[in-house]
Amino acid sequence: MSNSVFSVISRFLEEYTTSTPNKLKLVDAYLLYILLTGALQFLYCLLVGTFPFNSFLSGFISCVGSFILAVCLRIQINPQNKGDFLSVSPERAFADFLFAHTVLHLVVINFIG
Amino acid sequence: MAQPRLLCLVLLALAVSAQALTPSHHLTASDVARLEARLGQPFTDLQSAYFSIVGLSKLGVTVADADDACRFLTSNLDPTNIESLFFAAESSQALSGCEIPVSNETRDLLLAAVSEDSTVSQIYQAVGALSALGLPLASQEVVSALSARITKEDSVLGIINALQTAARLSQQAELGSILEEIEDLAARLDDLGGLFLQFEEGLEATALFVSSAYALSDHMDMEPPLKEDQVIQLVNSIFSKKSWDSLSEAFSVACAAAALSNNRFHVPVIVSAQGPATVSHSQPVLQLQVTDVLCQPLVSASVLVESASSVASKSVILSKAPFALRDGVFELNFMDSQPASGYYQFAVAVTGDSRLIANHVELKVKVSTEVAITNMDLSVVDKDQSIGTKTTRVDYPSKAKNSFIADSHQNFAMSFQLVDVNTGVELTPHQVFVRLHNQKTGQEVVFVAEPDNKNVYKFELDTAERKSEFDSMSGTYALYLMVGDATLQNPILWNVADVVLRFLEEEAPATIQPKTLYVPKPEIKHLFREPEKRPPTVVSNTFTALVLSPFLLLLILWFKLGANIANLSLSPSTVLFHLGHAAMLGLMYVYWTHLDMFQTLKYLAIIGSLTFLAGNRMLAQKAVKRVEGK
Repeated sequence: MSNSVFSVISRFLEEYTTSTPNKLKLVDAYLLYILLTGALQFLYCLLVGTFPFNSFLSGFISCVGSFILAVCLRIQINPQNKGDFLSVSPERAFADFLFAHTVLHLVVINFIG
Repeated sequence: MAQPRLLCLVLLALAVSAQALTPSHHLTASDVARLEARLGQPFTDLQSAYFSIVGLSKLGVTVADADDACRFLTSNLDPTNIESLFFAAESSQALSGCEIPVSNETRDLLLAAVSEDSTVSQIYQAVGALSALGLPLASQEVVSALSARITKEDSVLGIINALQTAARLSQQAELGSILEEIEDLAARLDDLGGLFLQFEEGLEATALFVSSAYALSDHMDMEPPLKEDQVIQLVNSIFSKKSWDSLSEAFSVACAAAALSNNRFHVPVIVSAQGPATVSHSQPVLQLQVTDVLCQPLVSASVLVESASSVASKSVILSKAPFALRDGVFELNFMDSQPASGYYQFAVAVTGDSRLIANHVELKVKVSTEVAITNMDLSVVDKDQSIGTKTTRVDYPSKAKNSFIADSHQNFAMSFQLVDVNTGVELTPHQVFVRLHNQKTGQEVVFVAEPDNKNVYKFELDTAERKSEFDSMSGTYALYLMVGDATLQNPILWNVADVVLRFLEEEAPATIQPKTLYVPKPEIKHLFREPEKRPPTVVSNTFTALVLSPFLLLLILWFKLGANIANLSLSPSTVLFHLGHAAMLGLMYVYWTHLDMFQTLKYLAIIGSLTFLAGNRMLAQKAVKRVEGK
């Protein structure tokens, strides 16, 4: 049983390292970074307390928003999804990503207090 | 104690509401004098002379200088004016030996005025002048002219004028139709709260109505169609006003007063006590004034107490006792029937004349007395009763020689009786208080002394139990006894003794703070929310490091994946794009520390548009390169 799970995981990793484009791996690393940052903030909130609550919220929202935007970027630049986003070039996707980030962080900074 | 008193009040209220209506307003002697003074002012014209002379004659007063008044009338007379003739003729009639010369033209003028073409008031003035001058007139013609006019002018004043005219006509004329107008007018009176009855035209119309109605009724010897209650309500409304705006108003009140005090049918009786309705042993006679509305005593009447009953116990202690007349005042020695002190309800009947109305009157009489304090015993009692108590007797009004000392294991006791000085009966006045006054601090404590079932007052002060009322203040207190009641002539305040009260020392307050109520309250300060406790800096720093650590991981992963900036070209658009982006990040930081949203948006618009243009160009080049690369 455990053996099969390991085999599945190793197979998955193998497939990932070989078949995923390098660009997407960069984005995946970025996603992992954001995920960990958000998780650590949440851990702090659980262990120490919510004070100052607005700062915690803005930090956490920043993480969640960035993660979602990054996922969107990843979907749009994935060559496998090319058929779905014919009118969206990778450059356009990146520009959208940057614009959305600007707006998001305007809100986040406004909220940080 | 309170319940029977409340019951008495309810019964009294019922008795008051059940009793017949009696006049609540009338002219007192001073009101009559003021009315005379108002009417006795110097004449300014013929009309004011008429009001003064006739008004005063109604009050039974003659003008001071009749000859002078007569000369004023003749000199001011205008023989071509009906109004002027009326005033002069009526006034001259009220003066003795005053003749107004009349010519034939004047007589014709007056006779011509009696027609259906004249107003009612003109007919009234013409008829008044003719009858006052002793000239003949055809009464039946006047009646028909009046009847015709009344149907045209249906005003209250017009009909009153018609009544006044009819009273001057021959008794043989058919005056019945005009007499019926009295009933119609009475139906037009406005009732105010069941106490007043008046015309909305004002006091003058009401008063003139009363005088003209009685003048006509007397003239025809037929009882006016007015009920007894209506007459009393009319009396109330006519005499409730004590200051008269104009001479004509004073005149009308004088006419009404004369009519109500002297007519053949209704004479309202005013019964009032002379001074306060109070009797006592020193003043045993109850004095009543029984007068008509002009404050003239009704000496021919006989006044009888139908019953006198105690308000408290309802027991009748006197019935069918006549008042004796002395100098115009009716007197009764009520103390002969030996009433206990308190309030008594008198039902008084005034008889002797069939014309009298409102002649059954309810009066409330107070019987007051003097109180004496007897058997005043003071003692200090041990609570465990181990030592026999020693009582001290104190006599009013002296003060006990020695002061009494009571500590927390003792009670201070006091007992006394209150008796009527005159009869020796025990009394229970409304107010019996024991007051303890600390001369040093000015503090005073008042207790109520209650009688037991033998009417012995006992007051016991439990020093330990009552210490809170004294604020546990030990010291010398002056003991006062206060006795008061509405029926007591001699209220008592007696300093009986000095009492030293000792409370337990440890409970005594350290400092005596006078209770000052009027000091400013402490200022209310706004309290900001307390900042929450921050975690230790070690924890904060650790988590800061932890939160930043994934960035390191990101760098490592990217490095492993072989990310690089080798592809970075140094074209101006690229440089500008990256600089713009860095500037936006910097702007975010400045927004956090310094700026507000509007400033930030302004700067962001500048930087953002530049970055957008540069980025657009850079990404377009990249896209071109990518497409070419394929």
